[in-house]
Amino acid sequence: MSLDRRQFLKSSLAGAAAAAWWMKVPSLAYAKGGGEELTRMTERPINYESVRSTFTTRITPIERFYLRNHFDIPTVDLAKWRLHVRGLVEKPLLLSLADLEKMPQVKVEAVLQCAGNGRALFTPRVPGVQWRYGAMGNAEWTGVRLKDVLALARPKQEAAFIKYQGAERPTMDTTPAFVRAIPLAKAIHPDTLVALKMNGKPLALNRGRPARLVVPGWVGDDWVRALVDVEVRADEPKDFFYDSAYRFPVTPGAPGAPIPADQMKPMTKVNVKSLIGSLSDGDVLRPGDHELRGVAFSGEAGIDRVEVSFDGGKSWTQAQLEGPSTPYGFRVFRHPWKAEAGTYAIASRATDSAGATQPEVPVWNPAGYLYNAIDPVRVEVQS
Amino acid sequence: MIRLLVPAALLLGVAALAADNAPPADEKTQALVEGKLPDDPALPLVQSKCLLCHTGDYLTQQRLTEGQWQRTVDKMRRFGTPASEEEGKTIAAYLARNWTTDLPPPRPVRTPPPKGSVPGR
Repeated sequence: MSLDRRQFLKSSLAGAAAAAWWMKVPSLAYAKGGGEELTRMTERPINYESVRSTFTTRITPIERFYLRNHFDIPTVDLAKWRLHVRGLVEKPLLLSLADLEKMPQVKVEAVLQCAGNGRALFTPRVPGVQWRYGAMGNAEWTGVRLKDVLALARPKQEAAFIKYQGAERPTMDTTPAFVRAIPLAKAIHPDTLVALKMNGKPLALNRGRPARLVVPGWVGDDWVRALVDVEVRADEPKDFFYDSAYRFPVTPGAPGAPIPADQMKPMTKVNVKSLIGSLSDGDVLRPGDHELRGVAFSGEAGIDRVEVSFDGGKSWTQAQLEGPSTPYGFRVFRHPWKAEAGTYAIASRATDSAGATQPEVPVWNPAGYLYNAIDPVRVEVQS
Repeated sequence: MIRLLVPAALLLGVAALAADNAPPADEKTQALVEGKLPDDPALPLVQSKCLLCHTGDYLTQQRLTEGQWQRTVDKMRRFGTPASEEEGKTIAAYLARNWTTDLPPPRPVRTPPPKGSVPGR
């Protein structure tokens, strides 16, 4: 089955208009320069997405890495900052940054992706920050295993979840605080970190200074920044940002149809996805040799295969994959292309090591989470 | 856009304003796409109730139905914006007649990362 029906029709109508509006500056200039640049979605709170040309390398540079916030960035005094570990533990803890720095440090490469990445591409439209493709990035995170921190506190027998919170606070007291939770099994996974560094550098203020949670393979809302409180508990919390928000349908419904609350569950792993970074909608290329380049990733599984299509999904060719597969990171794919004059809708399709492949149509959901459909780029080759 | 904007304006009783002072439809559309909050009797309400916690670009990038706008405003009232039910309806109507599902996509701005996004800066 080809893509052209829903995807390309939708894309060519909305997409043609979109390409015209977004083509402020030829995107190839950015691809070459690789400058320090983001696309502003909202000024306050700070929400910026990465530009498309960012997605041609395995590690995303900090200065091109997206930013997502519910509230204003908290002011954190590093000398006074403490991580409180409490609840169902034998020994509650109050750890300083120096305490964490003295513990064994480990490195994990992992993609951080906002659950709403691709929200703008859903039909019918849904409210929220209208991320297109750039609310994701891959970094090398360095820090302390959360497992080691919890071991110091000694969770009690009945412990099953951790509920946690960063230093950020809503503007109004009546707005729910950003509280998240994960099962204890994920919390004590050896790759789950209290990270102090991103790409080898201490976390910047907007990146969660001094410590953020890194929950590899899981959606970005779990990666709480400026972490200050971890409560070990027996059950899941009832807080808004866990019990109502950030939920995904158990079984897909009809697009636009309401989904009962009991048919929604917390999101965990991100799904398999790929993105062409070397081209943007509306690019005009010269005929001749080009290299298609992009990134692919999938929750807790590595990428096995990326295919590319130049004919609307009728035929697919396998792209080359760079480097070894990593469980949580980007895998760069590339494909040589001898371009002839014409109009092209170029798509990529990734398959992970568990056999999951990107779908032609995304699973529509009321908050626009986890978009991972095949998403073509339209370009023209002119002699 | 005329087709959509005029009936909405009539509903709010600002038909005279719209007829006399409205810029050509394409200019108005462009302004909406670029994230401008159009002048309107409801604008002061939007500024004082919505922009307490976030900037206007949060609103202007949305492309929603009337029902979706009303539910969004209801959620913000639950979150504590000090707007009465009646004010909430006026705000939702303003948003719903400007940022409709058929408006072209927003025009995002490319910019260097904001302060505090890169270590040491």
